[in-house]
Amino acid sequence: MNDLELFPYPKNRLQKTDLDLAASLQDLVQKEIVDKRLELKEDYQGLLRPNLDKLLVEVGLQRMFWPEDLGGEEHNGPEAAYTVAAALEQVGRADTGLAYLAAHNLALQAALAMRENLDREACARFAPLFCDGRGPMIVSFILPVFGEDEKAPAWRGKSFQVKARSASGGWVLEGKGIRPTCSGADATLFGAWCAVEGEEAPAFILVPGDAPGLSRGPEFKKTGLAASRNADLDLSGVEVPAENCLFRGDLEYRRLLSWFYLGITATTVGGLLAAYQILKEWGDNRVIKGTGNIFKENPLTGALMGEIAQDISMSRLLAYDLAGMLADPSSFGDAGSDMVYTSALMIVHQVLATAERALHRTMELMASAGYAKEWQLERYWRDLKTVQCYVGSHELAKHDFSRWFYGARTL
Amino acid sequence: MRTIDDFTRPLEYVSPMDGLLGSIFRDWVEREVMPYRRRFDEDYRDHRLIHPPFKKLLGEYGLQRMIFPEDLGGWGMGRSNYMCTAAFRMFEEIARADTGMALAFGALFWPFLFIALEPHENRRLLEEFAPMFCETTEAVFAALCMTEPQGGSDIENIEIVKGSTIRTTAVLDGDEWVINGHKLWPSNTGGLAKLMAVVCTTNPGSDDPRDIAVIYVTSDTPGVTQGPPYEKAGMAADMNSDVWFENVRVPSWYRACGPGDDAKYFGEIMSTGNMGIIAWISGAMMNIYERLTEFVNRKKFRGLPLKENDAVAGVLADFAAHIEAIRIVGYQCARMCDRHDLYGPLWDPGLVAKTRAQRYLAMDRFIEVTGRVMNLMECFGADRDWDVEKHWRDLKILQLVEGSKQLCQIETARWFYECTTL
Ligand SMILES: Cc1cc2nc3c(=O)[nH]c(=O)nc-3n(C[C@H](O)[C@H](O)[C@H](O)COP(=O)(O)OP(=O)(O)OC[C@H]3O[C@@H](n4cnc5c(N)ncnc54)[C@H](O)[C@@H]3O)c2cc1C
Ligand SMILES: Cc1cc2nc3c(=O)[nH]c(=O)nc-3n(C[C@H](O)[C@H](O)[C@H](O)COP(=O)(O)OP(=O)(O)OC[C@H]3O[C@@H](n4cnc5c(N)ncnc54)[C@H](O)[C@@H]3O)c2cc1C
Repeated sequence: MNDLELFPYPKNRLQKTDLDLAASLQDLVQKEIVDKRLELKEDYQGLLRPNLDKLLVEVGLQRMFWPEDLGGEEHNGPEAAYTVAAALEQVGRADTGLAYLAAHNLALQAALAMRENLDREACARFAPLFCDGRGPMIVSFILPVFGEDEKAPAWRGKSFQVKARSASGGWVLEGKGIRPTCSGADATLFGAWCAVEGEEAPAFILVPGDAPGLSRGPEFKKTGLAASRNADLDLSGVEVPAENCLFRGDLEYRRLLSWFYLGITATTVGGLLAAYQILKEWGDNRVIKGTGNIFKENPLTGALMGEIAQDISMSRLLAYDLAGMLADPSSFGDAGSDMVYTSALMIVHQVLATAERALHRTMELMASAGYAKEWQLERYWRDLKTVQCYVGSHELAKHDFSRWFYGARTL
Repeated sequence: MRTIDDFTRPLEYVSPMDGLLGSIFRDWVEREVMPYRRRFDEDYRDHRLIHPPFKKLLGEYGLQRMIFPEDLGGWGMGRSNYMCTAAFRMFEEIARADTGMALAFGALFWPFLFIALEPHENRRLLEEFAPMFCETTEAVFAALCMTEPQGGSDIENIEIVKGSTIRTTAVLDGDEWVINGHKLWPSNTGGLAKLMAVVCTTNPGSDDPRDIAVIYVTSDTPGVTQGPPYEKAGMAADMNSDVWFENVRVPSWYRACGPGDDAKYFGEIMSTGNMGIIAWISGAMMNIYERLTEFVNRKKFRGLPLKENDAVAGVLADFAAHIEAIRIVGYQCARMCDRHDLYGPLWDPGLVAKTRAQRYLAMDRFIEVTGRVMNLMECFGADRDWDVEKHWRDLKILQLVEGSKQLCQIETARWFYECTTL
């Protein structure tokens, strides 16, 4: 049995195409990433970038949702949630950073090209960028963060990083020291949730990476996610056409985030599955307490291994529960509804917190081997912690939960 | 404005030198380490940036002489009943900037515990090695080589495993020991160590503690090879590598304490190591507090400094509460290590178990609460420029080294509940 199948997930709800895609991705990432990384480590040019290209362009993750007549695969019903989960789990197992980047791309596609809310005009405008086979679309988001200026316009207390004003049929964007969610150094398309001058409703505006007036700072160092070479940005009088504004409402914004959180949850489960495989090999072979005592047979370490497996199992089930909610809007409501959005936010935080604990414990069980880069475990520990930081403060997310469950209004 | 010095330090028993030591180390850290530490990760192989501050601290200020007796050019710390309390302060101050440096600094003294502490001072060996450390202004490093490829915990688990898994052999040939074996991970290796204390067996497979031998080897002895430094998740300032011993010959009197005593005094490594780990945690937490304070004052949420949000304040309070508790436990641990008249000898299994308990509790708490702080800082929590992630990465290893988490639990249970088979 494929060892990943030890962890239950609702296989019965996945289509054959999903299972086939997962199986072929499992082979591909094993060959192209896992087998090569001892030598190539986390090298961006040598390992990560070529595989990002492969996954998005050759495998075609960046074409998944777009209509067929625009070059996409039109796999754009809500059931695509299962496809996203199955695919990103496999990618995340090989490299969490690559899956995290793909989660951005897929969330944007879902926001624009879902069958139920398909924005034909926007699709016609943006699908070619994703479908013409020219190269990978590295999508990054610019979301509100803690600000430095108390008067800056805010969304749920956090400061918008970009201010937009409409001018002669388009938008002009301004922002300094912007911290995107990924790939500031490489992104080809930014999606920014912007404050709009003189208006209440924010706007989600797409900014091409090569837009005049957009400048990128140097890549900065961070804990993990080598595939996301991040850098701060400045937008100075950046002009984009009116159609680049994809939506103005909270509903659509939350829809984008719900799909984004699904992608991140699946990415995280992938990292957990990788940690499982590394620990399994260790537990089968390591001897402790003198001779003849196999690691996994020791009551204390064996119990901890069991607990880690429990954490992984529960996380996988939660990821597919979220996929199930997104896949069935008639039962659960729109992906942007309060209930689905809140659930997505709870699940992504729950799974990331569980992953943090499980990775800590896996590191502990492998002791110095866990800490040495050579064993390839510590990168998942760093990567997933970085993802958790980028998803945002759990403390503040809890306020969203309270809004939904207790009707809190001023948090 | 509140500072790190407003956290409680148990004034009734800090060492008389505490203030002076504190200011010397604080000043050194600010001038020699803080400006460079964000680039240390990439310097793991060469120590181009890491070495100069060490040269100043160890060689020029002379801290590497600390443990040697005064008449041999040292400072006599080995005979002081403030050794651990003073070390706690030094460790804290270094770890505030860089835990890897603090670990490398602490590990430098490990090999000498066997020979520099009363009642088992080994005068002849002290005389032999003191000049290497006391008559130079260069930084000189020493290493304690315990861990082997088949496992580190088992070697430290002397009470139960009794040295039976040690594969590095020492065979007496006339008036020389001949050492063969392969060690992993000693701090200050990768070419740095000039002197090593090597944990060997004189009778492979034996579970008689008298067969555990701690033998000194200078690294220029033929047959000693230090491999290249490992690449790790953090702790770049602590260099670790493989070390091979191939028919290495040293005089027979290079054995630390002798049959039975080498194993017995191994406990001293454990209790002082546990104390050191709490100090490093405490020091790192001081710096996280500083950086976090800056963050929550500067960053705005709902038009106010972030710290003014009640939910955020809950996390901030938890962090401060942990510093208070961990630091007090740490100083108490140091005092227990110093006052043998009150708490028993440093190698006593009870003391080892208690310090293990204190240390693993502190470490678990650090990991949990610092993880929350990073998450609170959102994308900046993972940002090298905010330093918190560095401490989080660096300190993780303190849960794994020198008696990993589970060994700490086992030894704690073994002592407090008198388990006999664990
Ligand atoms: C930065 C760094 C610095 C270091 N410095 C030194 C040094 O100066 N000198 C030196 O000799 N070594 C050093 N080490 C090695 C360190 O001491 C060992 O990593 C540690 O002893 C654990 O050993 P191990 O890695 O071989 O893991 P193992 O001993 O194989 O342990 C693996 C797992 O088994 C568990 N385990 C072990 N025994 C038991 C038991 N009886 N019951 C239940 N669970 C158990 C452990 O908790 C751990 O989770 C260093 C390591 C690092 C990373
Ligand atoms: C066994 C027992 C013995 C007692 N003995 C005495 C006694 O001898 N004398 C006496 O006078 N009282 C006594 N009390 C009462 C006790 O002091 C109160 O229960 C306590 O002060 C909390 O007040 P409260 O129950 O009214 O809850 P509230 O004050 O209403 O608090 C409810 C909740 O709100 C939270 N909260 C309150 N303020 C804030 C804030 N600013 N920010 C965020 N959260 C907040 C609290 O943490 C709590 O979770 C006793 C209670 C018990 C159960």
